[in-house]
Amino acid sequence: MVGPSSSHTAGACRLSHVALALLEEEPVEARFELHSAFAKTMRGHGTDRALLAGALGMEVDDANLKNALELAKARGLAYALKPKNMGPEAHPNSVAIHLRGRTRSISILGASIGGGMIEIREVDGFPVSLSAKDPCILLFYEDRPGMVMRASEIIGRRGINIASMEVLRRGKGDQAFMRIDLDHPLPHDDVAALKELPGVHRVHVLDRVAGGAPIT
Amino acid sequence: MPQLNSFADLLAIARETALPLDAIFLAEEAAEREVPAERVFQIFLERWAVMKDSVRRGLAGGKSFSGLVGGDAKKVMDFTRDGDIAGGRLVSRCIAYSIAVLEENSRMGVIVAAPTAGAAGMVPGTLLALSEERGFDDAFAARGLVVAGGFGALVAAKAELSGAAGGCQAEQGVGAAMAAGALAFLLGAGPETSVHAAALTLQNTLGLACDPVAGLVEVPCVVRNGFTAMLALTGAQTALAGVESVIPMDEVVEAMVKIGEAMPRTLKETADGGLAMTPTGCRIRNELYQIR
Repeated sequence: MVGPSSSHTAGACRLSHVALALLEEEPVEARFELHSAFAKTMRGHGTDRALLAGALGMEVDDANLKNALELAKARGLAYALKPKNMGPEAHPNSVAIHLRGRTRSISILGASIGGGMIEIREVDGFPVSLSAKDPCILLFYEDRPGMVMRASEIIGRRGINIASMEVLRRGKGDQAFMRIDLDHPLPHDDVAALKELPGVHRVHVLDRVAGGAPIT
Repeated sequence: MPQLNSFADLLAIARETALPLDAIFLAEEAAEREVPAERVFQIFLERWAVMKDSVRRGLAGGKSFSGLVGGDAKKVMDFTRDGDIAGGRLVSRCIAYSIAVLEENSRMGVIVAAPTAGAAGMVPGTLLALSEERGFDDAFAARGLVVAGGFGALVAAKAELSGAAGGCQAEQGVGAAMAAGALAFLLGAGPETSVHAAALTLQNTLGLACDPVAGLVEVPCVVRNGFTAMLALTGAQTALAGVESVIPMDEVVEAMVKIGEAMPRTLKETADGGLAMTPTGCRIRNELYQIR
């Protein structure tokens, strides 16, 4: 990794890398709100550069990470960083990341929990618990019967094991959310099939964004 | 393989299988990743190469971007003479190499977190110094790195390794403990002795505050890696001599977590207390950030 801090540099880079993976297009605007220790030591730890680097798609060991502010300007990515008190319960290294692309936007809330490891706590307002270390599918859909069965059938047909899953909704019949952790990445065809399911709004794929490239 | 979530599990597996620690960790990681153990070891060899290179780049010098640190590793190297008060070449190199990695880190150079960036010095610093002293080749040194990494992972399973959550004990304390276990392993210690080395080292860093001047991973972090490298040597030396940790390693880790929770936020990486808030620390911060 590139120094100087695994939680404030590498972790920060990975957090916005997750946001980029969820946006699935090139961002034109990036806004970051930093809590407590993240805000206090932002410049000293290069957290600002690392957050931008992740939004530009860089990995934690990219020697260009230190030039991320300049690269963002060159690539036409508008950005803003500001402190925000998220209250005493929030992890000291918390950041809210808002990315806007040409066709869509995404917001996540995450924390850098040491040694470059991260946890995503919210995706577009849904409370989640996500380390982004293992392959993972996020489904946004309309709450209706049979959705868990249909989604798991597509995954099961491929012979891929579901490690864990989480199902949430805003209210009965309202927008719902499914997080499915997998032992292996899901092939593109199956992801497309998930997107085709009636009532599904969006499907996101997180394939080991945090934790570097998979060992092959 | 039975579950491996604690140092007690590790020692039980070692007793049962009579495997060396590195083989246990490699088998565990290989099973988790579903790749051959040789492939996992290859990753460790690659990491070891990056670590050695970060020492080399660090010794070549240059200031951090704040200008606060840089050049101290070289000073320690150049000053080294046999019969020095702190014990000659091995000790001097441990200090110098550990500081060198952190100086490179402060320039946003490429390093390997061990377990974090602010604590990245001790593992490569001490393992490289020992390997040079004893003529260990890269393949053998990387086996030590596997042990260090395995110990770090076992601590990370129970504790958050960041100054923000646990203070410096959770960064440099853990880094020194990882190094101590690996040093003992490379010097022929059995599993119990290696774990004692780590436990003795970690318990003697408990309570260490994270109070970086101006919030930078520079003062005291850079030089402190040289000091905690000495703790790692002491941990390995005492454990090899037969000294045992009265408190088992898993319980030392639990104590570290509880102490981290009890520490005020001002001493956990916020740069709102300790050295950061001394008159000189404040003056440096104000000058750097042009605060009037």
